[in-house]
Amino acid sequence: MGRPEIIEMLERTNTGEYCTLKEWDVKRIPSSIREKIKAYNLGQSFDPNNPVNTEDSLADEFYKAGYELALELGMLCENTNRIVKVSEEELASAIELAPSEILVGEGDDGTWIRARKPEDSTPMVYGASMAITFSEELWPIITEGIAREREVDLLEGPSLVTVYGREVLSGTPFETLVGYIHGTQNREIRERVGRPGMGAIGCTSSVTEYGQLASYGVPGGFRPSDLSLALFPSELKINYTVLHKVIHTHNNGGYLFGGSPAMIGGMPGPPEGAVLSSIACALLQYAVMHTHVGGGEIYDIRALTNVNREGLWALSVTHQALSRNTHLLTHAIASEVSGPVTESLLLESLVGISTIAVSGTAFGAGPRPAGGKLAEHLTPLECRFAAEVAHNAARLSRKEINGIAKEILPRYEPRITNPDPGKSFREAYDVNSLTPTEEWQKIYENVKTEAIELGFPFKSI
Amino acid sequence: MILEEIIAKLSVAIVNGDEEAAGKFSAEALDMGADPRKLIQEAIQSALDTVGNNFENGKAYLPELIMAGDAAHAALKFIIPKIQDREAKAINKGTVVLGTPFGDNHDIGKNIVGAILTARGFRVIDIGINVPPNKYIEAAVKENADIIAVSTLITTSLPYQREIIKILQDRGLRDKYFVILGGGPVTPGWTREINADGYGWSAIDAATLCLQLMDGNKKPPLPEPLIFGELRR
Repeated sequence: MGRPEIIEMLERTNTGEYCTLKEWDVKRIPSSIREKIKAYNLGQSFDPNNPVNTEDSLADEFYKAGYELALELGMLCENTNRIVKVSEEELASAIELAPSEILVGEGDDGTWIRARKPEDSTPMVYGASMAITFSEELWPIITEGIAREREVDLLEGPSLVTVYGREVLSGTPFETLVGYIHGTQNREIRERVGRPGMGAIGCTSSVTEYGQLASYGVPGGFRPSDLSLALFPSELKINYTVLHKVIHTHNNGGYLFGGSPAMIGGMPGPPEGAVLSSIACALLQYAVMHTHVGGGEIYDIRALTNVNREGLWALSVTHQALSRNTHLLTHAIASEVSGPVTESLLLESLVGISTIAVSGTAFGAGPRPAGGKLAEHLTPLECRFAAEVAHNAARLSRKEINGIAKEILPRYEPRITNPDPGKSFREAYDVNSLTPTEEWQKIYENVKTEAIELGFPFKSI
Repeated sequence: MILEEIIAKLSVAIVNGDEEAAGKFSAEALDMGADPRKLIQEAIQSALDTVGNNFENGKAYLPELIMAGDAAHAALKFIIPKIQDREAKAINKGTVVLGTPFGDNHDIGKNIVGAILTARGFRVIDIGINVPPNKYIEAAVKENADIIAVSTLITTSLPYQREIIKILQDRGLRDKYFVILGGGPVTPGWTREINADGYGWSAIDAATLCLQLMDGNKKPPLPEPLIFGELRR
């Protein structure tokens, strides 16, 4: 059974205050955020010359304002147009009772996700990859390639575009089928590479609840010690698709992994507004869903990424605010835009992942080559690189990462809305031996060498 | 108040997204004998251009864009009955049925596209999220639309974009509507594969695409889709 508190939240999706989607999006979210920015004097705090925030007091002010925003707004249920509000007691209790560490996976192969602080010496956990689509032929190969990368802590892996040769259509039983196949094969792959207890994240081949119901907690599929993905479709909104996943995960005694993207330029407005929205969303995930790992993702709707200056700054402030003021297991994604076999992909990863790592994020996930837009544009090598960045950034300060970001940003910024799509898995790898082409290996080594020269503490090339 | 002042206030009301004031100043200007076409060009379109440019330059955000579009509609409600049908059609750049297909609950991309299209002079019929293919076509027929725009963020909803085109073909309606695509997993290659008429990488690309489709020289279906935006694989 689900927790009584969650049943109460479900009830509120039918009994809360009525509000139209438009009123919520265009009036309530923007006006509440504007009021908070004004009340806490947070306007114009985005500093493009310093993309990684280093001021604790600024992060703390954003936390206070974001906490109040969570209480004032709550979340709108898209299915019923009812607002799910939480009391201060409920929010404080949910934050207090949230775990500060969990073992994802089992035994020696498992990974502890632990709460971190900015500049924490404990490395950030990293899970790879984002749900780039792959054919049934290549999906097991690329997934195995990622699982073999020992730096990668948790296996998410790409998504299947077909199952038994048939397209996976949303809302149809093909989703249930692909969920089962994805979950069981992901588990088999972890066993095959000698990491049977490795933690995983699922299910990315199906976005609706069908895939998750078919893959999580079923025999041979994702275990309750794996992370069950339950992402909100938009900031400060919830729906029954997500709540089905929430209930199913809690029924299984599993670990819930929430997420909710705040959009710079969208309903919350400027980067400062997106930070407030992101903090409120993250906190509300604990109160409404009783999540174990909560997302504080941010994207810029004009650049469709977060490795630009606005996105980096907003991510850094959000995660410093959450990690300084709570013991929550926070999650973030650095969303790259360039594709495999490009220098810029690795530079974007270096800047984005080190920014969230040094800001106190507990768990980072990615990479997302080519913005996740192009099928089969993903290789294990950038997953290794991303995990290496996540682990080694813990040895630097925010000031040092800010300095590295300022050096590197001008290299990829000019093409951020016109990125190089790079090469596909087949073009970048020998898919039989799972080794990168000489070209891709050389780029990887050159970027690492350059990063070391800039002061980034990679242990080896 | 002289007419020029009222026109200026109408423009400000639209930029500020004030529906009530936009309707009020529009009616007052017409009562004072304002030329409806002048009102549209000098007050409404220029105000929408201002907000659209501010959005593109990071000086305005999505709520402002949506509210400005709503205010412009409030003003047009008074103006349209005063002009000939032919002129009204010329003012409206076209009608776009916009939605997110079945299985996809993401709305942010759709909302941005809708707001930008409205700011660029299109009549946008937003049919929401999680929309079955037939609903797009029913809405297009009912609203006498020019363009069906299908935005999705998830791969498992992509096949519904193709299904919309198939249903249009099966019902003999493919030559009535342009079908355009956008969203995370959508690519120019997919657009060509399913014989859609256009692809926009961003919301601004989608608006450029719609303007080109409605230039008066094109008929659906296009032999080759128009592609706007990057990552052209």
